[in-house]
Amino acid sequence: MRELRRNMRVVGIIMLCMFIGVGSWFGYSAYLQGTRWMTSGNNRRINSARKTVTMGSITDRDGTLLAYTDTDGSRCYAAEREVRRAVSQTVGDTLSMSGTGVETMHTGILLGFSGSIIDRTWQWMIGENKRGDDIRLTIDAGLSAYISEQFPDGYTGAVAVINYRTGEVLAMVSKPDYDPYKAGTSDVVDTAYLNRCLQGKYAPGSVFKIITLAAALENMPGVSSRAYTCEGSRPFGDVPVTCAGGKIHGGLTLEEAFTESCNVTFAALSYELGGNKMVETANNFAFNDNFTFRDLVLYESSYPSDMASVAELAWSGVGQARVLVTPLHMAMIAGAIGNGGVMMTPKIIGQITGSTGIPRLRTDEGSYKTVISENTARIIGEYMKETVEDGTGYRAEVDGYTVCGKTGSAETSNDKSVATNAWFVGYIEEKSSPYAVAVVIEQGGSGGDKAARLAGKTLKKAIELIG
Amino acid sequence: MTGMDLDTMKKAASRSSGRTLTGLLVLFQATAMLLLTFKIEYTLNLQSLILAAAMPAVSLLLLKGLPKVWNIDRVMLTMVLFLCSVSIVTLTATMKTSSAPLTQVIYIGVGLVAMIIGIAFIRKLKYWKRWIVPLMLFSLVFIALPLVIGDWKNGAKNWIGIERNGETLISIQPSEFVKVTLMFVLAGFLSERQSRAKTFAAVVFGALLCVILLLERDLGALVLYFLTTIILYFLATSNLLITAAGLCAGCMGAVCAYFMFDYVKTRLAIWQNPWLDPEVSGYQIIQALVAIGSGGASGMGLGLGLARDIPLYYSDFIYAAICEEFGFVFALLLLAVYVIIIMRGISIAMSARTSFHALLSFGIVAILGLQTLLIVGGNIRLIPLTGVVLPFIASGGSSMVSYLGATGLLLGISSLNADADQEDIERAEWRDGRLV
Repeated sequence: MRELRRNMRVVGIIMLCMFIGVGSWFGYSAYLQGTRWMTSGNNRRINSARKTVTMGSITDRDGTLLAYTDTDGSRCYAAEREVRRAVSQTVGDTLSMSGTGVETMHTGILLGFSGSIIDRTWQWMIGENKRGDDIRLTIDAGLSAYISEQFPDGYTGAVAVINYRTGEVLAMVSKPDYDPYKAGTSDVVDTAYLNRCLQGKYAPGSVFKIITLAAALENMPGVSSRAYTCEGSRPFGDVPVTCAGGKIHGGLTLEEAFTESCNVTFAALSYELGGNKMVETANNFAFNDNFTFRDLVLYESSYPSDMASVAELAWSGVGQARVLVTPLHMAMIAGAIGNGGVMMTPKIIGQITGSTGIPRLRTDEGSYKTVISENTARIIGEYMKETVEDGTGYRAEVDGYTVCGKTGSAETSNDKSVATNAWFVGYIEEKSSPYAVAVVIEQGGSGGDKAARLAGKTLKKAIELIG
Repeated sequence: MTGMDLDTMKKAASRSSGRTLTGLLVLFQATAMLLLTFKIEYTLNLQSLILAAAMPAVSLLLLKGLPKVWNIDRVMLTMVLFLCSVSIVTLTATMKTSSAPLTQVIYIGVGLVAMIIGIAFIRKLKYWKRWIVPLMLFSLVFIALPLVIGDWKNGAKNWIGIERNGETLISIQPSEFVKVTLMFVLAGFLSERQSRAKTFAAVVFGALLCVILLLERDLGALVLYFLTTIILYFLATSNLLITAAGLCAGCMGAVCAYFMFDYVKTRLAIWQNPWLDPEVSGYQIIQALVAIGSGGASGMGLGLGLARDIPLYYSDFIYAAICEEFGFVFALLLLAVYVIIIMRGISIAMSARTSFHALLSFGIVAILGLQTLLIVGGNIRLIPLTGVVLPFIASGGSSMVSYLGATGLLLGISSLNADADQEDIERAEWRDGRLV
C-alpha cells in the first residue's frame, strides 16, 4: 500500500506538470499570437464587426493620421499622397491586399476585439456607437515620405530604419508602393502589395560579412592580427571565389579586408571556420528563426545548414549561395552591433488607446536575443566605422555623427550583365540617435554607390526629424 | 496515538465544507442563464429562464442533501457541477436553438442519477471480485458491438444507434462506458499483487480492448485506454522496466500507425501546417484558432461569438468555443478546475483503505486528466487532434453519463474513506479514554 501511494504521488505529479505545461503554453501563445490567429483564416467575425463597429484610427509617432474612419463610415488614409504611398504596405488597406499591413494584422485591435469590459461599459454609458481602439505606430510619416522621395527613380527595393536600443521601427519603405485608395484596381502592380522589408528575401552579399567576421572573432583567437593576401581569386573545390569587379587587393589586414570588402579573405575565413561554426553564428544572429513577433510578421531569413560542397561553404561566407535575408532583419543585425551585441524585438505599435482615452497596458517585449559578446560587437563596430570613414561606404557619412556601416553588392544571377543588388546596412554610433538602417536597391549596382548615399540621407533625416 | 494527531484527524475529516464555493457556483449559474434569457435573439427565452432557477435549485439540493446521507467530497461535487453548468451555458450561448441544450440538460440529469447510483453501488460493494469476469465479458461484447451493427461516422465506427421507424432515437458510444468498466476490471485484477496470472490477464484485457478500438478507428479512446492501462500497471507493480517497454511499444505502434493508416498521416499533416489547405482539411483547426484569437483575454461575451463557424464546435471543439465566448483567461481557469478535481481525486485514491479502491479512483482520475489534456491540446494545436471530447462539458450523452457515473464511484470511495477516518477517530478517542 505504501508503494502504491508513492507511485500514485509520482504519476499525479507528472499529470500536474502536464497540465501546467499545456496551460502555460496556451496562455503564452494566446497572449502573444492571439491577434495573429485571429486573422490566420477567413474570419466572419471581422466582416460582421466592420458593419457595426467604427474602426479605430492609425497615426504615426507624431500623431499624423495615416488611416481613420470618417463620419459617414468610409475608411480614409493619409491626406498627402506621398505619405500615403510611402507607408502603404506598412499601414495596409481595406481589402487586405497587403497582408502584413496593420489594417489587416491588427484588425482585432482596430475593431475593439480586445476591448476591455471598462471600455464596453463606458461606450454603453455615453451611448456611443461601438468604437474600436486607436493605434499609434512607431513609424515616422515624414521620414517615410522622404525616403520614398529620395529612392532612386525607376528602381525597386526596400529601406528599413529602426531604433536599435528600443526596437521601434521608424520607417519601412518598400518600392514599388501603391495608393491604398486604388488597392485592388489594375492601376497597382501586384508586387507593390509586398512589404519587401518584411517579406523580401534577398541574398545579402557582402553585408553578410558582418556575420562571418563575428564568427571568426568569436572562434579564431588572433584572427585580427593575421596577414592575408588576395590574388583576386581563389578556388574552393572546383569553383573559384572572386572579388567584385576583378579587383586584386594584395596583402591586407583583417580590418582592411572588411572595409575593402575582400571576398577571397572572407570566403577563406568561412572555409576555415567550417559549416558548423558558421551555422551556429548565423543562428545566433537569428537566421533560420521562425519569428513570431507580436507586432509584425517578419519572414524567416535562411542560412543553409546542409551545405553540399566546399564551394557553397566559401560562397555562403560572403552572403551568396543559398543565404537569404529580409531587410528589416538586416537592420536588426546592424542595430545589434551598435547595441553591444543585443538584438531588440522589433515593434511597430507605440500605443493602443481605447475609447476612454486611457492607453492600454502593453508589456514591453525588450530584447530578442544576445547575438554576440559586447567585445566582439565593439570590434565589428570599429571595422564598420572604418568602412564608412575610409572604405567602400564613404558615401553614407553624416556630418557631425559617426556612421558605422557595411556595403554589399549581391549577385542575383550567374549572368554577369545583370546588375547586382546594392546593399547598405549601418547605424549611428551616438547613443543619443540610436538609428540603424538597411537599404537594398534591386539591381542598383555597387552597394557603395546608390545604397550608401540613400542610407546616409536617411540617417541624416531621421536625426533631423526624430532627434 | 497522541492528542495532536487526533485533532489533525478531526480537522481532516471536516475539511471539505465550502459554503463560498457553493455560493459562487449558484451565482454563476443564475447570472449566466439570466443573461442568456434576455440575450439570445433578443426575445425572452423561457427555457433559459427556467434553467436559471432550476440549475441552482438542483445544485443546492445535491450539495446540501447528498452530504447529509453520505460523507462525500463536497469540493469535488461542486467542481463537477460547475463544469456541467459551463456545458449548459456554453451550449445555450452557441447553439441558439433550445432543443440541443435541453438534450444536454436531460443527459446531465440522467448522469446525476447515475452518479447517485454510483455512490450507492460502490458503498454497498463488498465482493468486487465477483464482478470482474461479468464486467470483462460485458466490456468486450459492448465495445465490439459497433463493429457489427454500427455505421461509420466522422471517420470512426464507434457508436451504435437505437432506431425506431428508421429514425435514430439515441446513439450510444460504448467506448465511453467501457472506460469505467475497464478501470473496474483493471483495479480488480491488479489489486492482488501476488497474482502474476491476474496481472497478465489485466494487461491482455487492456490490449484486447485497444485492438478492437483500432479496428473501429477510435484513436482518441485507444490512446486513453492504452495510457491508463499502463499507468495502472505501473501503480500496482512498480515495475519500471515493463512500464517503459510498454510505452516504447506504444510509441512504435504510433509510428506503425502513421505508416499504415492514411488517416493518421492526414491528421498529422493538418496539425503541422493547416494553412496549406485552409478551406478544407485545415478549416476546422484554423477556425478554432481564429475563434480563440477573436475571443482574446476577456472573450467576445456570452452569446456574442461565432463559434458555429468551427465544425463540431459543440463536441470536439467546445474548448475553442469557450475560449471565444469567455476569453482565454476563463479557459485557463477552467483547466485549473480540472486540476482541482484531479487533485481531489488523487487524494481520495491516496486515503483509500483498500488497493482496489485506490486503483479504481486513480484510474478514473487518470483517464479524466489525460482526456482533458488530449482534447485541450488538440484544440489549441499543441498536439494533433484526436477524437475525444472534453469531459463534463462537451455535448453528448455517453460521455456525460459515464463520467458522472464515474464521479459517483469517486464520491462513494471518498465517503468510505471519511467513514473509515471517523471510525479511527472514535476508536482512538475510546482508547485515550475520552469517551467514557
